[in-house]
Amino acid sequence: MTPDTLPRAEEEQMDALHDTAAPANAPDPADERAEVDPALFEEEGSEPPFARAVRTTPLHLETAAESRTNRWTAWNGYTVPRVLTDLGDEYRALRGAAALMDLSPLVKYRISGRDALAYLERLCAVSVATLDIDRLRHVMFCEGSGMVLGDGLLFRLGADDYRLVTEETHLAWLIDSAEGFRVRVEDVSATLAVLSLQGPLSALLLAELGIGDAAMLEPFAARWIALGGMPVYASRSGATGDLGYELWCDAEDAPHVWRALMAKGAAFGLRPAGFALRELARLEAGYPRAGRDYLSAFAAIDPADALPPAAIWPHFVPDPAKGLFNGGTALRSMQGEAPARRLVRLAVQGLEPVRFAAISAGGAPVGLATSAGFSPALGANIALALLDERAVRSGDLSVLAERRAGLSVGESRLPARILAGPVFSHPRRFAVPAPFRP
Amino acid sequence: MNRDGNTYDAIVIGAGHNGLVAAARLARAGRRVLVLEAGEAAGGAAATSEIVPGYAAPAVAHLVDAFPKRIERELKLPKQGLRYAARDIPTVALDPDGDHLLLPRNRREFKRFASRLPRDAEAYRNYVALLRAQAALIEPLLGETPPDLHDAGALRSLFRRLVWRSALSGRAGLQSLMRNLPESIGDRLDAEFESPLLKGALAFDATLGGAEGPYAHGTSFRAVWREALRMQGQGLRQIAGGPGALVQALAAIVSAGGGELRVNSPAARIFVENGAAAGVELADGTVLRAPLMLSAINPRITLLDLLGANRVETHEALELSRAPRPGTTAKLNLALERMPIFTGLAAEHHGARLLIAPSLDEVEEAASSCRENRLTSAPLLELHLPSLADPSLAPEGQHILSVIVHYTPYEAEGGWSMQRESFVQKVVRRIAAFAPGVEEAMIAGEILTPPDIERKYGLAGGDWHQGDLRLDHLFAFRPSPVFGRYETPVAGLYLCGAGSHPGGGVTGLPGWIAAGVAMENGEGAR
Repeated sequence: MTPDTLPRAEEEQMDALHDTAAPANAPDPADERAEVDPALFEEEGSEPPFARAVRTTPLHLETAAESRTNRWTAWNGYTVPRVLTDLGDEYRALRGAAALMDLSPLVKYRISGRDALAYLERLCAVSVATLDIDRLRHVMFCEGSGMVLGDGLLFRLGADDYRLVTEETHLAWLIDSAEGFRVRVEDVSATLAVLSLQGPLSALLLAELGIGDAAMLEPFAARWIALGGMPVYASRSGATGDLGYELWCDAEDAPHVWRALMAKGAAFGLRPAGFALRELARLEAGYPRAGRDYLSAFAAIDPADALPPAAIWPHFVPDPAKGLFNGGTALRSMQGEAPARRLVRLAVQGLEPVRFAAISAGGAPVGLATSAGFSPALGANIALALLDERAVRSGDLSVLAERRAGLSVGESRLPARILAGPVFSHPRRFAVPAPFRP
Repeated sequence: MNRDGNTYDAIVIGAGHNGLVAAARLARAGRRVLVLEAGEAAGGAAATSEIVPGYAAPAVAHLVDAFPKRIERELKLPKQGLRYAARDIPTVALDPDGDHLLLPRNRREFKRFASRLPRDAEAYRNYVALLRAQAALIEPLLGETPPDLHDAGALRSLFRRLVWRSALSGRAGLQSLMRNLPESIGDRLDAEFESPLLKGALAFDATLGGAEGPYAHGTSFRAVWREALRMQGQGLRQIAGGPGALVQALAAIVSAGGGELRVNSPAARIFVENGAAAGVELADGTVLRAPLMLSAINPRITLLDLLGANRVETHEALELSRAPRPGTTAKLNLALERMPIFTGLAAEHHGARLLIAPSLDEVEEAASSCRENRLTSAPLLELHLPSLADPSLAPEGQHILSVIVHYTPYEAEGGWSMQRESFVQKVVRRIAAFAPGVEEAMIAGEILTPPDIERKYGLAGGDWHQGDLRLDHLFAFRPSPVFGRYETPVAGLYLCGAGSHPGGGVTGLPGWIAAGVAMENGEGAR
């Protein structure tokens, strides 16, 4: 809290304390030299960077208060709730009303400076030159061999001011790439909190909080709003396949924004949710996650684990109008040849949740499920799986499923099929204005 | 083609000898070439400069030993007035006691060498024979484009050729080369020779131009590399009129082909149109166009500063951004009012290349001082009196002494402005120990410390070798693996300076090969 926001009474109280503590030093009204509080100049014992391995997000107290299960998980070094109440309840809130999630552990970089656009244009494998201010775009970036290092959302905040939000840290590569550019790269992960408000009622909720024109916000657009009295940069985005907003605000403001949303939203069925729901929702929406569904080319010890963008995002084609970019030379020479392995969306037959990993075709192993879960939307087990190209074309896939009942484990082979599209993708996510009812 | 405007067939950036050799090769092939020089005169490290009016000295490099005959012949340089003042210049290791040692070039000299050092004679014969056998293996690689590191077939045929050549030569060349690759020259000389003077001279030759001491790994291979470079040339020679005469001859070829040389024209930007190099913008805003560009200047400056980082991928820029170690060689040019007499040196050997490196210990001592940025009081020197064979350089009866100072730190302790005077004194006192009275004969002098060479001749780090001759910086790894074949990510832009294979020295080879590669690719053709 800054001195300006101190209530009047408190200020007077402090003055009174000061007076009684040091009556001899009472300010002389004739003395024009200002009284200086020496405490202002005392050095604060600052914590060395990276000293802490276990960190909490700015919303830790809020999520902890909501937790009924005490089930936590680690995400990018932060402690976040896995499940707050019950995954089924949280899922029903997300698909039927709205869910609020703390995504603060996402890695956020601010990229600014005269050459920011030229720098990003070379860094990213997709064209970013046409990105307008207050818009965002999904970008991926590769190393020189054309293998993917990571992907994320790129926001254009101003003329020469961008924000890149990624799942994993890429600071070393971003700084190495800055050589020769007048650009500043900052990791702002710790000072920027992210709240994800997702679900069919999310536009209605914002309208209830006085932001009626939030519904007019187009998909992949963003703007500043005031929420609970706090400045919040709201973007119409989110990896749930449904209508949703992501709210970017100062770490100190985040708890107020959370409380404002929860106070208003509870009556509409808004529920806070944990990491497990985020994973399930993005699996239903069919989005791969860096570090889980694919490895960064630098992390791939076996070079076969590094993937070109087309293996992860099937529609990726290097833009012929785009100039030179990292990995571009390699990607253009690779163009036309199918990648050896590909990430596909898979549905497994069966009506109850099972565990599986290895995928085979005609008895021979052809790939691995990288993320898997039971999708209530499809009523089946679904997965993102990395499959050999031949198996993708031939079909006839099956998984060895493990079914647990108490202490006993039953194994059975279940047929699997490749899905053409995501399991969940509602048309209202692209509707303008965003609908207020489900 | 528009002959009125600023449009050419090719533009070469940097009028050093490599840039000019490339330009001359293109000019001989009928191209109209523009050569841009940032400095006041062409030449770079191969210029002739006047110390004071009437006294012309070879500014940096003073002798040539690796300028290939085929370049000379194909460019018809003798027709342009290239003459040699001296050929087959001997090398003499100066002995503090006056018992100097001539490194033998023939049977007769070897006999004298054997009587002077009876115990080392046989070892020296074997050393030279092995050095030549090893150099002969790699020598053919120096005159051609290094193989593509990603082309398994090319690499296979390269190694197959190496093995066959080794087998046919009948000596254990390849095997011993493999053994010598990581070895230090100091260990090798200690094992083979007794005479400190001989060891000092051989270690001097192997380490000159680098910062590594004689006991650093890989220095033994540098002796092989230098020998192989020498095989490209025609023996140690002195160009009449100083090395600047070579530069003038090359420039004459360029202008005869309709091209021109512009001095005081630093390039500010290389611009690209439709994915290919299209021209240069000068610092004063002049726009010059050509479909082919060759850069003889530092590869890092060419690609990151002139071309721009957005034209180079990150992994390529990273390889260039590793700053090369600065140069460790200084140059001192002295004008003398009379002939310096070296005690005990035969009159006919005063025109020789004289080495002051009396022992391996002194070489090691000088190297370690250099590492600590100290100026040693016993500097290692290579001396040459160019005015003896080429009296045109100085007024009659007067002389020029050209001195190369090995192991001179780029940053002197206390700063060069403080150390300059004492550095000159140390060098002159060292010379006077061998040629008494040289201090009194000095009438003028010019000193070029590594920072001076960087400033005056635009060599980054003042490094004559442009990214030193280490194993990991040779062949296709020079200047870095992605740019090892003269080509750059931008079509029509080539690297042709000493930063590319085969490297530094007045060889003209990087420029020659790069121009050849560019023409093979059909660039700059009318």
